[in-house]
Order: sequence, then structure tokens, then C-alpha cells
Amino acid sequence: MSVSAILPDARPANVMDDGATREIRRAVLTAIAVPGYQVPFGSREMPVARGWGSGGLQITLAMAGPDDVVKVIDQGDDEGVNAVNLRRLIVAATGADETTVPAEATIIQTRHRIPEDPMHNGQVLVLQVPEPEPLRGVERDTRELERMHAEADYARLWVSLYEDRVRNGVITQTTGYPCMVGGRDGGRYVISTTPIPRWDVPRLHRSAFLSLFGAGRAKRIYAVPPDTDVEPLTFTDVPFEVETTPGAACERCGSSESYLVSIPASDAAGPAVERWVCSDTDWCRRRSESQP
Amino acid sequence: MGYVAARGGLRAIRAAERLIRRRRREAAAPEVSDEQFLAHLEPLVDRVIAEGGVWAPELAAAALRQGRGDPIEAAHLMRSYRSTLPVVARAEADADEMEVLRRIVPAYRNPPGPQLLGLTADYTGRILETTAVSDTADPSEITEVVDAPVAELSETADRRPTRLLDVLRALDLVVDRRRRDDPDPVDVTAVAVRPPAPRSGRLSVMARAETGALVNLWYRNILGPDGYLHEITLGEVRHGRLPVRLAHPRTGKPVTIGAVRVTEVEAIEDLDGVDEDRGRLDVGYGMCFGHNEKKAIAMANLDIACHRDAGRTQLEQSVLLTSDGLEATGFLEHLKLPHYVTFRSIVERKNAVREMAERP
Repeated sequence: MSVSAILPDARPANVMDDGATREIRRAVLTAIAVPGYQVPFGSREMPVARGWGSGGLQITLAMAGPDDVVKVIDQGDDEGVNAVNLRRLIVAATGADETTVPAEATIIQTRHRIPEDPMHNGQVLVLQVPEPEPLRGVERDTRELERMHAEADYARLWVSLYEDRVRNGVITQTTGYPCMVGGRDGGRYVISTTPIPRWDVPRLHRSAFLSLFGAGRAKRIYAVPPDTDVEPLTFTDVPFEVETTPGAACERCGSSESYLVSIPASDAAGPAVERWVCSDTDWCRRRSESQP
Repeated sequence: MGYVAARGGLRAIRAAERLIRRRRREAAAPEVSDEQFLAHLEPLVDRVIAEGGVWAPELAAAALRQGRGDPIEAAHLMRSYRSTLPVVARAEADADEMEVLRRIVPAYRNPPGPQLLGLTADYTGRILETTAVSDTADPSEITEVVDAPVAELSETADRRPTRLLDVLRALDLVVDRRRRDDPDPVDVTAVAVRPPAPRSGRLSVMARAETGALVNLWYRNILGPDGYLHEITLGEVRHGRLPVRLAHPRTGKPVTIGAVRVTEVEAIEDLDGVDEDRGRLDVGYGMCFGHNEKKAIAMANLDIACHRDAGRTQLEQSVLLTSDGLEATGFLEHLKLPHYVTFRSIVERKNAVREMAERP
């Protein structure tokens, strides 16, 4: 008699066993019920390394099935090697279809970007998170961090933003900008919008879609449900600033209303010239194709 | 355009996979077999088993072959394999039932039970031999040396020796921290452990930790800037076969399903804190899969150090959150992933700071 005859559930799974799937779904539901709270979960080891999207991958694997259509991007690019590798794994493990067009996707797994296209209700954005702790910069002790979140004691974070502004004239936080989920006044938890650029932060605010943040190494999941206030921590008289470079436009589609990334000049002898392209390659492609 | 060339896509990934396979196939010598790994590279196989958290020597050998000898890569393959396995039952083992292959007690000259040297290079002069052992040694000499002491051991008493700890307890020299409630150990693969964690959680994390990371954590805490550790005296260093039992799925009765090789260490601590029982000793514990004394000793010392520290410093956080080889290397290597979206944001802020500074 074989083990599987006695225990039919003992069959090895494709990437992750059913017990883990159930646990991750429960963690996701808790995260949605308590927006911004970092829910601990027993993060499993995935075929990709820690720090390479193992948290996002676990969420996607726990949700996706043959009826889903997934889009995976890294830096906004569907063809980035790690995006391709993750998409291959997800499609093989879940039987989901794949796409590069956001409107066609039910689940979009991403590293560092939110697609430029507006997304609709019913879509899920899964963000890969390297470090979920927004207070990491002001406190290292995990017990103290737990207390600070429990008591909504974000005073030191505010002080650090104030000091930053006083020292530098601007707030120098680049990506992963800390935000209060539920709004600056009525909100409860500060999250790290890890690590999307500030450009994408306003797009989490009262979004139509559900955002799930998965940190595999840190073993935490948190969520921003649809229609939820997400406000960057800033002072009333210091406006939140997104990345802008005057005069920059995508050299392919001409866009100046998308997140642009720079291509530095390779000719070291001449004056420094920067060229710009859209980071969201699928958005850029469709825009270029629709132009005469 | 340079931008397109920098993108890899599916073709590049497949090419990289083929390149590794070709390197393995077309190497100047045939691939190392399972048998060769298991017979000759036991310390390496044992590390992969322990860090992978699965007792499966043949799979560890296969993982090492696939990972071309990189223990972290092999442990990763083992752990992601482990993630596909459902937990169907919880096995039990009693450390007192270990059949020792090696046992030393540095704390006494003549401890109860044998000082059984077993397999060790501890007292061998480290002189590099450039020829294979099969070409140099006289076979009869090897047989004689190895078999003689083994024959003198009486199976029952000496293969399962009394623990030094039992003697120290009988002498009322040890603080008694034995629990009466016997809770199930924390499964660190299913629960995220953070300080303060139950002792079983700390021990499980250390059993799967990367050996070098644990040794370094021990060393920097002994001699480095942190200084939380007290140097212990070793009471037991054991390597042996530990029977594993399972409740039979039909009858519910415990059945021995096999044995795993483990290293077990008991570290005796000299209590000297003002709030401690300074008339007695305490004990730290370490156990890991395979023969890995470095790891088990570091573990036992860190175990008692965490207990004595009792959350005063961040020692436990270091143990729980920085000793895992896969977590550390995965996070380090993720720096190789493209970061041009975040870097653009960094450069933009640099310009903003400069602009602000240059403003009259």
C-alpha cells in the first residue's frame, strides 16, 4: 500500500501545497479587512529566491486559476527577465492565461510600478515587496516596531520627514513613500508603498482596484482595498512631489504624462545628454502604434 | 536601441538555462553521481539537508549536482521542493534514543559513558595530501585502526550513553528549566517567528540556518562589538542516528519509520548575573540534521545566550531574522535585478536637493 492510497491529500503540489494556499488566502482576507496592517504569514520557499518576488508570487499562486489572465511586469516592462520568469511559473502552475494589456488582466503582478492605464474594479494588483516596514528608517527593533504600529505612534516618522525637509529643503524620500491608509486624519496604519516611485503613489488613493503587497522574505502581507484613502505623509504647507523632469518626453511615443526612465548618453566626451522613454512598455507600445 | 538590448525576455532566459545544461553535459569529466556525493562529500550533503530542512540525502545529492556544488543553491532547490509537500503527520523523536557514532564530553576527563572519538579530523595534522587515499594507504592498517575501539563498545550502554546533564542534575548543579506542559514545537515553515519567540522556534530557525552565518553570529557576539555571549563549556557533543517515530495511520500506535543522523550539543553556562542563580549552572541546546558540529555548538551557545538575554538586546532578532542563508543571499542577489525605476527617482531627488541649495 502506498502513502497516497492512505492519504489522498499527500500528493505533491505543483509549486505550493494546498495548506499554504489556504493560509495565504486567509492572510489576504485579513489584510483586506484591516487595511494597511502587515499580516504575518508562514511564507513558503518558492522556486524564485527571497527578494525576487517570492511574496508576490505566493499571493498570485494562491489566487489565480485557469479562468484568470495574468500580466507580470518588472520596472513596468513585461519583457524584463524576472517578469518573464515569474509569468512562466504562474502560467504553468495555475493554468491562467497571460497578457501584456492591463485591461485584459484579472491579476497584475508587479515590481516597482503601477501600470499607466486606469484599472477597473475587480482587478487585483499584486506588488512585490522587498521590505514592508515603513518605520525601518527610524527603528530597527522588531518589538518596538510592533508597539509603534499597535499604538499608531508615528511621531518619529513625522520628525524624520521634518528633519529631512529642514536639512535638504525638500523631502528626499525617493520610492516606497510612507502613506497613511484610510487618510491622514481617519487612517490607522502607515504603509510603505514599497518601492513604487512617488509618481505612482496618488494612483493608490481611492483606486478602483485592490492592491495586495506581498513580502516573502519578511513574511508579511498587507492590502489597500478599493476606494480607500491612501495619503502620503506630508505637511500641510509642503506639497507631496512626484518625479518630474522639465522638458523630458518619451522618445518613442512622445509622452510627458507617464513615468519616464532615463537613457544616459554613452558618449563621455560630449556634453551629458539624457534621453527618456516610458517605463511602462506596453502602454508606450500601444500609444506609438496608434500614432500616424 | 540600447534600451531594447538591455531587456532579456524569454529567449535570454532559455539561453541561460541551456548554457548551464551544456556546461554540465560537456564538462571534461562526467557529472558527480549521487553515490559519489553521498560516499565522499558527506559534510556538504549534510549541510544541504540541514539548511534545506528535509531529511533526504539522495535529493540533497541531486540538488548539489544541479546547483553545481553551491550549497545555498542546493538548499534552495530542497526548500522549494519541500514547499510542494503537504504536511500529513508530525513525527516524534526522543534524543535519549540516539545511537551515538561519536560522543565527546570536554567538561570531564572521565565522564559517565565513553569518550568516543569517531569520525573527526580534529587531531589530524592538516597536511595537504595531493594523492587519493586509495593510492597511498595500506588497507589492512586502516581496517585495524577503525574497527578496534568499536568492538570494545557494549551496544546498549555505550551506544546510548547517559547524558552529562543527568549527572549534573543529580548533583543539583543545574537550574531546572524543564517544561511540564510539553507543547508542540513551533513549525517555522508555517509561522513567521519574530521576537519574542518560543524556544522551539529559535532552535528550529537555527537548525535551518546557514552554518557560516551562525558561526559568524556566534563569533561577533563573543569577540566582536556586540558582546552578548559568554563562552560555554561543552557538556555533550554527539553525532549519531536518531530513530524517528510516527503514529500509524490505521492503529494510531507509534511506529519507528527510520532514523536520521543528527548532531547534538549541550553547552553548560556559568550563570553570573545578579538576578540569576549564581550557585548553579544552566544549559544551552543545539541539534541539527547531519554531522555539523560547528553549527550545533554555535546554536547551543546562542540558545542559552538568548534565554539569558531575555529580550534586553536585539540578540534574538539577529538569530531569528538574519541567520537564514536563503533569505540573506536571496536579498543580496536581488540587487542584480533591474532598479532603473527606483534609480530614476533617486536621481530626481538629487537634482531637487541641488536646485534647492543653489536657490538664492
